[in-house]
Amino acid sequence: MNNFLKVAIFSLLTIGAFTAYSNFGIPQIVPAPPPVEEELDLGGMTMDQFIALGDKLYHGKGTCTLCHNELLRAPLLDDSVAMALKHMSDPNYKGEATNVEEYLHESFVKPSAYVVAGFGKAGSNDTESPMPDVSGGGIGLSEAEIAAVIAYLQDISGSEVTVSIPTDVPEETGDEESEGGGGRAPFESAEAIIAEFTCGACHKIAGEEGEMGPDLTQIGALRDRDHLRRALLDPNAEITDDFMEGMMPAYGDQLNANELEMLVNYMAGLK
Amino acid sequence: MQKRNSRIIIGAFFIAAFALFLLPSLVPGIDASLAFADEAAVASDADAITYAPAPKLTAADYPTIPGVNSRVVVWIVAQLHLWFGAFVLAVPIFVFIIEVIGMSTRDQRYDNMAYEFIKISITAFSLTAILGGLLVFCLILFYPDLFNYLATIFKGSMFAYALLFFVESAVLYVYYYGWHWLQGGFKKWVHLTLGLLLNASGLLLMFLANAWTTFMMSPSAVDAAGVFSGDTWAAIHNFLWNPINIHRTIANVAYGGSIVGAYAAFKFLSARNKEQRAHYDWMGYNANFIAIAALLPLPFAGYYLTAEMYVYSQQMGITLMGGVFAWIFIIQAVLIGALFLSANYYLWCGMGRSEGAHRYYPYIKYIAIVIVVSFLVWFTPHTLVLTNAELKSLGGPYHAVLGPLGIMPAKNTAVNLLILFTFLSFMFYRRANKIATVPWAAKGNAIQIALFTTGIINIFILGTYYGYYTNTVYKVAASIPQVLTTLVIIAISVAIDAFMYKGAKEVAPLRWGRVPARSQYALFLLAVSFTWLMGLMGYVRSGIRQHWHVTNIFRDNSPDAFTPGLGYAANVISIATIIFMAMVMFVFWLSTISSHKSKTAGYWKEQGT
Amino acid sequence: MIMIKKRRIPRLLQLVLVVLGIYFGFILTFDVILGQLIPKSLLTMYMFFVISGVLMVFTFTEESTQELIDPIKALVEDPSKKMLRNIVFVIVPLLAGLYTYSSLSLSFEAPVELRTIHPAPPSKVKAYGKRFDLATLENPYRKYEKEDPDKFRELVKEGGDVYIQGCQYCHGDKLDGKGPYAEGLNPTPLNFQDVGTIAQLQESYVFWRIATGGPGLPAEAAPWISSMPVWQDFLSEDEIWKVILFLYDYTGHQPRSWEHE
Repeated sequence: MNNFLKVAIFSLLTIGAFTAYSNFGIPQIVPAPPPVEEELDLGGMTMDQFIALGDKLYHGKGTCTLCHNELLRAPLLDDSVAMALKHMSDPNYKGEATNVEEYLHESFVKPSAYVVAGFGKAGSNDTESPMPDVSGGGIGLSEAEIAAVIAYLQDISGSEVTVSIPTDVPEETGDEESEGGGGRAPFESAEAIIAEFTCGACHKIAGEEGEMGPDLTQIGALRDRDHLRRALLDPNAEITDDFMEGMMPAYGDQLNANELEMLVNYMAGLK
Repeated sequence: MQKRNSRIIIGAFFIAAFALFLLPSLVPGIDASLAFADEAAVASDADAITYAPAPKLTAADYPTIPGVNSRVVVWIVAQLHLWFGAFVLAVPIFVFIIEVIGMSTRDQRYDNMAYEFIKISITAFSLTAILGGLLVFCLILFYPDLFNYLATIFKGSMFAYALLFFVESAVLYVYYYGWHWLQGGFKKWVHLTLGLLLNASGLLLMFLANAWTTFMMSPSAVDAAGVFSGDTWAAIHNFLWNPINIHRTIANVAYGGSIVGAYAAFKFLSARNKEQRAHYDWMGYNANFIAIAALLPLPFAGYYLTAEMYVYSQQMGITLMGGVFAWIFIIQAVLIGALFLSANYYLWCGMGRSEGAHRYYPYIKYIAIVIVVSFLVWFTPHTLVLTNAELKSLGGPYHAVLGPLGIMPAKNTAVNLLILFTFLSFMFYRRANKIATVPWAAKGNAIQIALFTTGIINIFILGTYYGYYTNTVYKVAASIPQVLTTLVIIAISVAIDAFMYKGAKEVAPLRWGRVPARSQYALFLLAVSFTWLMGLMGYVRSGIRQHWHVTNIFRDNSPDAFTPGLGYAANVISIATIIFMAMVMFVFWLSTISSHKSKTAGYWKEQGT
Repeated sequence: MIMIKKRRIPRLLQLVLVVLGIYFGFILTFDVILGQLIPKSLLTMYMFFVISGVLMVFTFTEESTQELIDPIKALVEDPSKKMLRNIVFVIVPLLAGLYTYSSLSLSFEAPVELRTIHPAPPSKVKAYGKRFDLATLENPYRKYEKEDPDKFRELVKEGGDVYIQGCQYCHGDKLDGKGPYAEGLNPTPLNFQDVGTIAQLQESYVFWRIATGGPGLPAEAAPWISSMPVWQDFLSEDEIWKVILFLYDYTGHQPRSWEHE
């Protein structure tokens, strides 16, 4: 019995020492809590918020920075637009993208379409990417979330954001009444937007007679929706003759996606 | 005598290793046929089976009992089941080998030892089954949806598992209770065949259970929503299945050896006479030998498993090696250091069995210095824990001297030296009571010294020059020739010794039983450290799934979905270890009371007078 | 059979001497000879395993163990050592108490944090609204060092002015990290005179650290407690390059460059 006690005490002391070391001998790192599955309210978002969402996804749920970081487990994506253009013209490119946005989207869901030299799966001779399909299981980004990340990547590359905020994502738009657009109540109609932003001070629209900017009373006949959308988001992208560059602020950025579409639709109807 | 024993043991070890490599290749055939049988059965009911996607749960889907942390309960029960399972699986492996040795040498001591080993495991066997049942019960109780999901996919193999369990029990009972009946000639061969059958069914059981675990880590034949679209074999043969099978089989042998060693140590300490002490000392020595011999290849199996994890999912690999789990490998280093130190100490103490060993005593301290220094290098963390004053003094967290010791080349070099000098301890021990009489003994020794010297220099050059002054490709690649150097030194030394000590003169008898009690505590340390280490590595294996029941397809939404920190995990592991040790003590105690007989004069009615 | 010769030092004392020798050996080697102190947390663990190893060597034979234990036994049991026993029995608990007290007593020391001060640089950085590729970025004025020494001196002098206006408050007028405000900062301002700081870095790295300051540190260097300001908000690109010239010129260090490696 004496031996039994000795052995028991010895074992307990050993276990105690291991426990003490694990608790006090090494720094205690608290693992990050499981990511929260968030509901997106895309309809109530401005482009800046959409890009910010992409930023958050990029560093969070998307787990992109696990590999796309300074340790270079995967290529850095801070200049992805230039990279995309270069890769699309590379003979090794196996994808079908025709523009940067499509290329980025393809690289998310079919990462092996183009593998940057040196970053392929071991032994695959750079034909197969170690990157998972981000729309799949582990990461599970939705189409809207992928679009947000593309917007973010385009933004940090310093180039134009061509992605439009998806508005037709019924499950994910969440509660219709949820607050968006920076805390103000959403606009009810295109007329309300025009009134709020005093478009008529410069443009001829909705009964106002502004003369600083182009006449918009029949703009729907002259321009298509894409052009109108771009003109709202990036007014200096194309300037109609005789008008000065840099006059109009990018009002589109202050609108959420629903509002922007509402305004674009309104304008497209002016014929 | 001793030489032949160890030669046989080494031979048996190789046979065992060969058998282990052979088994996994046999298993698919057996498994596949089982799977086909299942499928045929199911197919007659319905033409096509459609599987449901992985359920999306909310916290409310997890039944709770107030005051009971369901995850910790499942964790501890699973861990206990695993420990006992590892033990009862490993014991028949080396019981079989020892029986073969006894049979071929006709040395009955081996047969008796084998019988005693299986006697210990027989109670543990039923405890394994009880704990397995308890685990299933806990899973159904606390994680019904997860259990249901896995059971749907694995219903075929789960059924086969239950059947196989009956087979194994039946074989085990015949094997154990028939031990003394099935002796001599043909009967012994029958008994040996039963032993083989027992091992085959045991390993198969483990492989089946491994598949459930590895499916949760690396699910196969499922789409992103968790809809399963394969047969039973597809689910079993998932990516990490074979790496885990190999790693667990080897680890189980090492673990079983250490637990039997603890048993022998306990019996040694409580032995009443010289014969018993001699017997249990011998048993402890053999158990320790088994444990250490299986421990040496374990790092390579672990390396293979980790590499496969990286291949399966880079994310999983990075989670394992960095961030939260980075410090776990420092704890692991401490535990493995404890294993090596206690194994060496046991060998040194064992030299006291023979007067002839005194010749080697002066060298022990140098071995000790190398082992401790290697260990300190191995243990040095890459990121130092510094107080602010120290940070200020150093001007940053990078230490000019200790920093380079924190990275892999230094650690690889250290661990190779650690293995090499542990082997040297063993060689000294082996030579303790003998003097080589072959004419080329001096030359043989010189060759061995030269071998060790060049080998160590080679390991150093590989570790320092290639480890620090070349680019990453060479750095990583240099670890392979290092390991090869170590293995070559060990292999050639064993070969030289085998010839050099053929018919060697015995200078002093080897007196089994003449070891200090301290050495037996080294065996306890070995067993406890092993148990705790298994718990720790089990935690990290499971922990890298993070908040997923089944990696990336079945999310854990219970309140306990968070990944526990190291301190928390260590506490759970310690509690589980204490419970396990108490149960093991109970098992050991049971195996002793069966031989106790109390005199009860006057209690029973006198018969026939 | 071995060590028949009479040992002068008792075994127990040997053990204590060996352990103390190794302990002070560590401190002497690291803190004095190498000038890189050994962290206390690491030394504790090192000593734990050293003591284990030493105990193993001292106790693996029966005779040696007895020699070790006998004086301790004698201390406890020998009636003639009553005085010594009493002294030991008072001192040991006191020492234990002292150790416990000192390790549990509150101090003003901030809790230990794991922090990487010289993190790996990103390959590209964003500053001044532009993108800089750190691998190829060069100091535009470095070339004048050979081409036009007079102009170079002029540039260094301008850099010196920038330094005195912005940097010396923390980094010191001798560039030794001991400016008037240095004591108040943690981590301490970098000592540029030290061979381990700018001498180990490329000019582009220095540019990155100056331009983006503490907030520009990558996640690896968390927690971001560095008080280095984001100088791109206060200095022009040229001024940063000039001040870098000054840093190297004053300290006599050469910036690291890949060509020489």
